[in-house]
Amino acid sequence: MAKTPIGLEPVVGSLTPSKKREYRVTNRLQEGKRPLYAVVFNFIDSRYFNVFATVGGNRVTVYQCLDGGVIAVLQSYVDEDKDESFYTISWACNIDGTPFVVAGGINGIIRVIDASNEKIHKSFVGHGDSINEIRTQPLKPSLIVSASKDESVRLWNVHTGICILIFAGAGGHRNEVLSVDFHPSDIHRIASCGMDNTVKIWSMKEFWTYVEKSFTWTDLPSKFPTKYVQFPIFLASVHSNYVDCSRWLGDFILSKSVDNEIVLWEPKMKEQSPGEGTADILQKYPVPECDIWFIKFSCDFHYNAAAIGNREGKIYVWELQSSPPVLIARLSHAQSKSPIRQTATSFDGSTILSCCEDGTIWRWDAVPTD
Amino acid sequence: MAEKSSPSASANRSEAPKDSSMTQSEENNLTVKEVLSVIALLKKQVTVDRSVSVKKRLEENRQKVGGITSHLYKLSNERRSSWISDSDSALDLLTKRQKDALGMQNGIDVSNGDKDSHSYQEASTAVLMGSSIPVKNAVRPIKLTEVKKLPPYTTWIFLDRNQRMTEDQSVVGRRRIYYDQNGGEALICSDSEEEVIEEEEEKRDFVESEDFILRMTIKEVGLSDPVLESLAQCFSRSPPEVKARYETLMKEEKDAGASKNADIEAQNWNSFLEKDLEAGLDSFDNLFCRRCLVFDCRLHGCSQDLIFPADKQTPWSHPDEENAPCGPHCYRLVLKSERNGTVSSPINTEEKSNSSSDGVGAQTSFRKKPSGPSARRKVKSCQSESASSNAKNLSESSDSEIGPRPEDSSSIPQLSPSKNKIAGKSGIRKRNSKRVAERVLVCMRKRQKKMAASDSDSVVSGGVMPADIKLRSNARKENEETMSSSQKNVKSPNTGRSRRKEWPLQEGLQGEVPEVPSSETINDLPRTSGNDGLRKEEFVDENICKQEASDHKSWKAIEKGLFEKGVEIFGRNSCLIARNLLNGLKTCWEVFQYMTCSDNKLACHAADGVISLLEGYSKFDLNGNMGNNEVRRRSRFLRRRGRVRRLKYTWKSAAYHSIRKRITERKDQPCRQYNPCSCQTACGKQCSCLLNGTCCEKYCGCPKSCKNRFRGCHCAKSQCRSRQCPCFAADRECDPDVCRNCWVSCGDGTGSLGVPPQRGDNYECRNMKLLLKQQQRVLLGRSDVSGWGAFLKNSVGKHEYLGEYTGELISHREADKRGKIYDRENSSFLFNLNDQFVLDAYRKGDKLKFANHSPDPNCYAKVIMVAGDHRVGIFAKERINAGEELFYDYRYEPDRAPAWARKPEASGSKKEDGAPSGRAKKLA
Repeated sequence: MAKTPIGLEPVVGSLTPSKKREYRVTNRLQEGKRPLYAVVFNFIDSRYFNVFATVGGNRVTVYQCLDGGVIAVLQSYVDEDKDESFYTISWACNIDGTPFVVAGGINGIIRVIDASNEKIHKSFVGHGDSINEIRTQPLKPSLIVSASKDESVRLWNVHTGICILIFAGAGGHRNEVLSVDFHPSDIHRIASCGMDNTVKIWSMKEFWTYVEKSFTWTDLPSKFPTKYVQFPIFLASVHSNYVDCSRWLGDFILSKSVDNEIVLWEPKMKEQSPGEGTADILQKYPVPECDIWFIKFSCDFHYNAAAIGNREGKIYVWELQSSPPVLIARLSHAQSKSPIRQTATSFDGSTILSCCEDGTIWRWDAVPTD
Repeated sequence: MAEKSSPSASANRSEAPKDSSMTQSEENNLTVKEVLSVIALLKKQVTVDRSVSVKKRLEENRQKVGGITSHLYKLSNERRSSWISDSDSALDLLTKRQKDALGMQNGIDVSNGDKDSHSYQEASTAVLMGSSIPVKNAVRPIKLTEVKKLPPYTTWIFLDRNQRMTEDQSVVGRRRIYYDQNGGEALICSDSEEEVIEEEEEKRDFVESEDFILRMTIKEVGLSDPVLESLAQCFSRSPPEVKARYETLMKEEKDAGASKNADIEAQNWNSFLEKDLEAGLDSFDNLFCRRCLVFDCRLHGCSQDLIFPADKQTPWSHPDEENAPCGPHCYRLVLKSERNGTVSSPINTEEKSNSSSDGVGAQTSFRKKPSGPSARRKVKSCQSESASSNAKNLSESSDSEIGPRPEDSSSIPQLSPSKNKIAGKSGIRKRNSKRVAERVLVCMRKRQKKMAASDSDSVVSGGVMPADIKLRSNARKENEETMSSSQKNVKSPNTGRSRRKEWPLQEGLQGEVPEVPSSETINDLPRTSGNDGLRKEEFVDENICKQEASDHKSWKAIEKGLFEKGVEIFGRNSCLIARNLLNGLKTCWEVFQYMTCSDNKLACHAADGVISLLEGYSKFDLNGNMGNNEVRRRSRFLRRRGRVRRLKYTWKSAAYHSIRKRITERKDQPCRQYNPCSCQTACGKQCSCLLNGTCCEKYCGCPKSCKNRFRGCHCAKSQCRSRQCPCFAADRECDPDVCRNCWVSCGDGTGSLGVPPQRGDNYECRNMKLLLKQQQRVLLGRSDVSGWGAFLKNSVGKHEYLGEYTGELISHREADKRGKIYDRENSSFLFNLNDQFVLDAYRKGDKLKFANHSPDPNCYAKVIMVAGDHRVGIFAKERINAGEELFYDYRYEPDRAPAWARKPEASGSKKEDGAPSGRAKKLA
């Protein structure tokens, strides 16, 4: 990476905890022997803000956070294929609001589970290799995107089971895609990143008619005219190694590689030449011992804080939108030593969950200040 | 200072430090240390500015995010309420479990320990796991029925024709980190032993803050070498770079004001019509592939050298040349109407009769000699022969029209009754025009005498002009009053014509002394002619002065350029030029006028008036074509399109077949890539094709007689299916452009394109399947052997063409690099094409890329030259039944082949037909 020119240096957060909030372990449970790769709260439907889901091995589990650190198991699903290893999970819903749990993993099959009827809704076959991340469009939660090892990102309609768009090809990723995220307000925009060390921003504006068409499609899903989006509108080389998590923060992007930090940057597109542009790195949030890939961070509903685990089982909670960044808390527990693959931050950030390589789920609750 | 600085607030920055540094600015002889301290100070300030600006931007973003999330919150609440109102909440198991759990927790609070029995009774309800309760997962899991997964593949783009790799696709010089599935570790693939990558120093643009430091420092401490050096150190750049930047900055500052005006001007100037054809053609040449006849060709790219054939095509002529006018503005119609107008004229009877009776016939003769300048010339030089000459007379040689002209004003009314009225009303004008007519007649007679002496048609035509114009415009005025569209037809040509004749007038007047008086007298005429004097003057002024200007203005640069091209393509056929090239811009009549005008112009440019149009025409032709004959190179501007970092290499392992690349049956040396030569004469020793060892093809610049050309075949009955066909024998497909009897039928056997069907007696060339894309339907499916496989939908016979193996065209060097990656994944789609290129179907290709390897295959691959390009065809080695899986021998070199592709017997021996030992697998 080229040296950052003077005057464009990022503001780096200090690792001294501000003690703004204190967290305490309130629960720990062992789900199984296999590593847990993802945990996520439901932000789609306000009834289920305290419901979260985890994946590990061939199992998908739905839990509820109750008062007093209690976690209730609500539902559990097991793929009959023992070799399946789910990597990612996301909440979605049908157009009538039926809650769905969408999971994907090594088999490359997206499982759409109807949580209100406790049965499989649909299985999407199409990806040529494992699925590394699934995200839901917050404005239209029937739309999901999946990032796959097959170097593509695909947009699906869970309601009709249609693969609407494939983001791959001439300008696509050159290696596994590890993470993808919908822009929170611009419904046409997604950002993806992966093992080719790049972050790409894609627009589906020109293809939006297909997205609309997917909702009214009555024929077989396989007959749908799936389109390829071959060129991203922006390409950033912010990192020099695998980029395994990226999230929009308004129009900025938070992304992380294996360099012990989360980076906040602004994509600056050039109007005349799409695909080109520069990334202005604004802030950095250091996360010590976070140098292995496939560690993902999570934000609360309002993007006030981000929680990220590390290789050593510690969690760093950063205040995202202050400048310079403030470390809200550093969570550690003597028994939490296994790498934390993903965290989940509750609606208001008062509860943080972490799922670990050793198959444990940890619940941390903020200690009431008064 | 810090309050409102933002990234773009350079003004802020430049203002802020002034007060603090003003005192220092006078002392210019500072030591290096002081310079450094100044820089450090500025740096500090920049850093502060930066953090403030970041803060500000984050704050702005925070507000935006706040709005977004509260909207999302609203949405999530709506979902809740819509759900409750819509359906029976009892059906929602998730909500039910949620409630159960809540109820249980409350129950636990009361009776702790009761939980276990609870959950066992109703197995699938919630289980609580609080800190006080032992962890136990008792919820009965719901089974998700197994769905068979697909064989792995990387998302690929379907290609129906090969594409050249775009530079940004290159893996050469890029670090690729592998993830070892088994070890769980990421490995960096470095080739440091093999190659040293020297990245061209990427030119970093100076950022605003650097500019600021630069400006302020120099402002404070002056411009000197130590200052530059320390600045360079600060920016980690070279001192000259810094100096150059400073100079541009200073210049920019100066230009700042001026540039604004320039911008506005530029905006007004961007109509495409203002561009000349050269610029347009330049981008055309850059974007249009003359081999594939498409824009933005992905196969040959935008960097092709422009090659123009030495054999010039004769101007295109329509096979069944009709005499029908091409449209309402066709020059034929206009001429005709003019001629009609002259019928009543008592003067110049010959002309009249000629034009009226011979109108059509004359036109025919003209059409028959579209590019016959000699005919025209004849007309020009001896107008008295007009009876026997072409109708062109009327338009081209103005003197022949002098006769009818005076009567125009009176004759036009005959065309339409409405005009009659007007003519009647304006008696004075009529009289006046009659007088003018007389004058003109006198002039004409004089001139004709002169003519006999000088025989200078251009001069004559020029001299006639004013009278012409005047009368015409007179008629035009009337026309305008009547406002009839048909009359407009008459009118506009008239004005157009007068324009046309402007040229000779201007140039001729000065040169030819005898001409001056005649035109002057006519110019004088309106002024002296009482009532109408004013109007006449106006006409004259308008027509002579303004129209002259408008002649040049109304024909924009691009229109002129298009016209010239049109003459090149269609010959002097204004109908075709107007219709095909100037549609919507100029009418046929206008083109016609321009054409004749430019002829005259050329004639005038020649020193003596006797210069023939023939010469003029040929000169014109020369002008038109001269530029084309040179091999034009792309403009630098366009060349830079798609700029990608350029890399320099030192390359040690130069052998070009190394990594697993499939090869074809031909075991001898690989084919050579064809690049058209730009020879303009028969190819000699310098011909790039000869040097390269390829034949010349139809895309070469050399004439057809070139000895190095592949001449195609003359096969008649063999259908070009055996080695008797020279094309087939040379691993080439027949080319309808080159082979004598190979033509393209419409497929149903009845029709053919441009060739009468009787030719060749039902003969149909069988050696054009790739060209015509006559492939078999190939299906993609789960292989019986491994991974994906390609299957045939319909049965085919032996040697039938199945389809093309398409992919990205990459260099051997790139292929070696990619091969390493692919070998690691044990799945390679590389295919050796020729000495320059390898096909890679990994990310782009077609279904045939999934055909598996077998030492005992049912297909074979063959590299075939199709219209100058090498392509890979897959052919049936034997009869293949519908639904069978396709296999062919990848022909990896024995030592490179992976285990699954090695010959079962003695690896290393290149024995052709190994014993049938089952089909080897290929991981796709």
